[in-house]
Amino acid sequence: MRNIYLIFRRDYLGYVKAWGFWLSLAAVPALMLIGSTFALFAIQSSPVRYYTVVEPGHVYADAIDAQFAVDEIAEKAQEMAEQIQMGAGDKAAGALRERKFVAVPPPARDLDGLRPYLLGEATVSGPLGPKPLFAAFILSEDGTTLEYWSDDVNINTLRYEARDAMRQLARTEALAAAGLSADFIETADDAAVKVPERRIRSVADQEQAGNEVTLADRAPVFVAGAMAYFLWLMVFSIIQYLLMGTIEERSNKIFDTLLTSVRMPELIAGKLLAVFAVTSTMMAVWGLFALSGSAFLSTLVPGAGDMITPFMTAAASPQIMIPGLVSFVMGYIMYGLIFMALGSLCDTIQEAQTLLSPMMILLMLPMFAIFIAFQDPGSPVVDIATWVPLFTPFLLILRMPHDPPLWEVIVQMGLMLATMLAVLWFSIKVYRAGAVNGAGIGDLGRMLKGMLGRRAG
Amino acid sequence: MAGSPLVLTQVTKRFGAFTAVTGLSLDVPEGKIIGFLGPNGAGKSTSLRMSLGVIPPDEGEVRLFGERPNILSLRRVGFLPEERGLYKKMTARETIAYFARLKGMSAGEAKARANELMDATGLEAFKASRISKLSKGMAQKVQILATLAHRPDFLILDEPFSGLDPVNQQVLEDLIRAEHARGATILFSTHVMEHAERLCDRIVMMARGRKVFDGTLPEAFASLEKGASIEVETGFDLGTALAAKGFAAQRAADRGHGDAWRIALPKGVGPQDALRAAIEAGAPITGFAPDEARLRDVFVSLVGEAEAAALDAPAGAQEGVPA
Repeated sequence: MRNIYLIFRRDYLGYVKAWGFWLSLAAVPALMLIGSTFALFAIQSSPVRYYTVVEPGHVYADAIDAQFAVDEIAEKAQEMAEQIQMGAGDKAAGALRERKFVAVPPPARDLDGLRPYLLGEATVSGPLGPKPLFAAFILSEDGTTLEYWSDDVNINTLRYEARDAMRQLARTEALAAAGLSADFIETADDAAVKVPERRIRSVADQEQAGNEVTLADRAPVFVAGAMAYFLWLMVFSIIQYLLMGTIEERSNKIFDTLLTSVRMPELIAGKLLAVFAVTSTMMAVWGLFALSGSAFLSTLVPGAGDMITPFMTAAASPQIMIPGLVSFVMGYIMYGLIFMALGSLCDTIQEAQTLLSPMMILLMLPMFAIFIAFQDPGSPVVDIATWVPLFTPFLLILRMPHDPPLWEVIVQMGLMLATMLAVLWFSIKVYRAGAVNGAGIGDLGRMLKGMLGRRAG
Repeated sequence: MAGSPLVLTQVTKRFGAFTAVTGLSLDVPEGKIIGFLGPNGAGKSTSLRMSLGVIPPDEGEVRLFGERPNILSLRRVGFLPEERGLYKKMTARETIAYFARLKGMSAGEAKARANELMDATGLEAFKASRISKLSKGMAQKVQILATLAHRPDFLILDEPFSGLDPVNQQVLEDLIRAEHARGATILFSTHVMEHAERLCDRIVMMARGRKVFDGTLPEAFASLEKGASIEVETGFDLGTALAAKGFAAQRAADRGHGDAWRIALPKGVGPQDALRAAIEAGAPITGFAPDEARLRDVFVSLVGEAEAAALDAPAGAQEGVPA
């Protein structure tokens, strides 16, 4: 254990003392900070724009204005519903968001007259002072088309609002022609039979937990998904460390010295632990940053803190935690050993780079499996893929919230353990050949053949 | 400490079709300095790596302190590999202390020992220098100190002098003598015979993977045919004069002012005996030079001039180990 610790400590400090580590550590929070600041700034700094509607009366202008109002109210209602679900209740009241498009009276009645206003050469008066026109709607003479004119064709919000407004107007007029009131459809919708979501449980559980579907019911799936993704991210992150670290030692010709002081398994264990600690340090710092950010946000959004509880409960549940931890550890060791063994066969960074593509493909396969399992955990593809040891660590975690048969879980864990031991055996052989005897990538096939041949013989 | 630190019995190592070491038997006596000599590619490094369990032999047995090499027996060994390598981003002191700790020293003890060794070898100004900032020779010195920092009972040094300038070669010779005086057994490989002549109690010579000599320095020199050169005034027939005394002499060169004669010395007879016989024969002697026996000559006599020429190649030029 002492030797493992010493190898771990040296490697860990070696990584942590490097500039690259601190840059990586700072990069994610900096990116998050810059991104969110930028997004916030983009929302807040979005200018209020003027538009006008050229029509004989005021029908279409009113319809567009009404559509904006309907959307704003719907948006606010959605926000309040979400906050009530989080337990914020009546604290959820708030002001409507400032409207970014404001109608002004048309400064001219035809396109030629409007052109200088639309091109920014002239301004119109409005509630926020004089501004050029962002867009103008011009009703055609036959009244069938409301043309949208603007110098900026990339912002379509206003056009989409107008399109929805026109549909709503047409529907209202059609209902009126049929002698029906405007809220006829709404009344009809309200009368439809409701389809509420219920969670079936055992009678005892049902009495205790009720039958409503809450966040607590969905949290295990998200927690399992997060764990599987986290494992994937960890494995993805260690590739460069394991490859580069091993190449450095191979090029430094240091293995002979090390191997007269420590056993090969101690050397490998120390190195894997060091890389695990480095990536964990990064993830922990990023996690802390995200948590601090969430805590800060929860002070701004009432009730957001209550959202965390179901996720914490799910993460602490033995049904998720035990298979999750076992899968996590075994998966990490398995993939770590593979990458480390491959790294020991490389002399240069260029040589290692040629290995990166197959490694990425190897890693993308579990990612596809994670995606499918997240979409449809009961899919036969996922059932079969879970039995493939390279996928098991990810998929077993993901399947746990869906109560797979216990025997399957135990057998799959056993299979995972057997595979991990086989990978360990093979990796030590490859690592020894690469690190001690200077074997290269080209020798891998010969080594594999030799090992299998020897075992068969 | 009792017994031989290292015993190899009929050890053979093959790399594919290439046999690097063939049937090597070796017994390293305790407390001695042993020179492991031979040209590059003779199998020295492979033998040393097998001795430490870094690579396993295909045949034969290796006993290190009476056991198969294991982590405990290896703790009593300090090994300097032929291919030098250190962590470039560590400082010199950290490096020495780190390897001492891997050999079982406590953190405090290792740090103190690193300081002590660096002070003693003139490296005190480089304690906090990164290995990458040190010259090659300086880094090699650090690695040598790291090898002996844990006060090993047995030092195995593979080509320790290669890459060092004459001053540092002398420093290393002094270090080896100091370690020997401390009681350590030392086995070092070299293809430069002069180091072995100055340091070794015993030598083992290797050529093409086989041991060709194993014995003390006097035993090595005894195996050589010895001789001497005597110069006499022109015209004097030293051959006839010495034949009567039982010596074979041949005229080797005309030196202008006299003739040089080469005398072959029978076993057990020294060059002084030949000189005395020439004086007694009334030879007008103008010069006398006994042959200076060198290990290189011993090696040449054992393996031939062609094989011995490889001694002059730089270290590591041939000794690659295939995967």
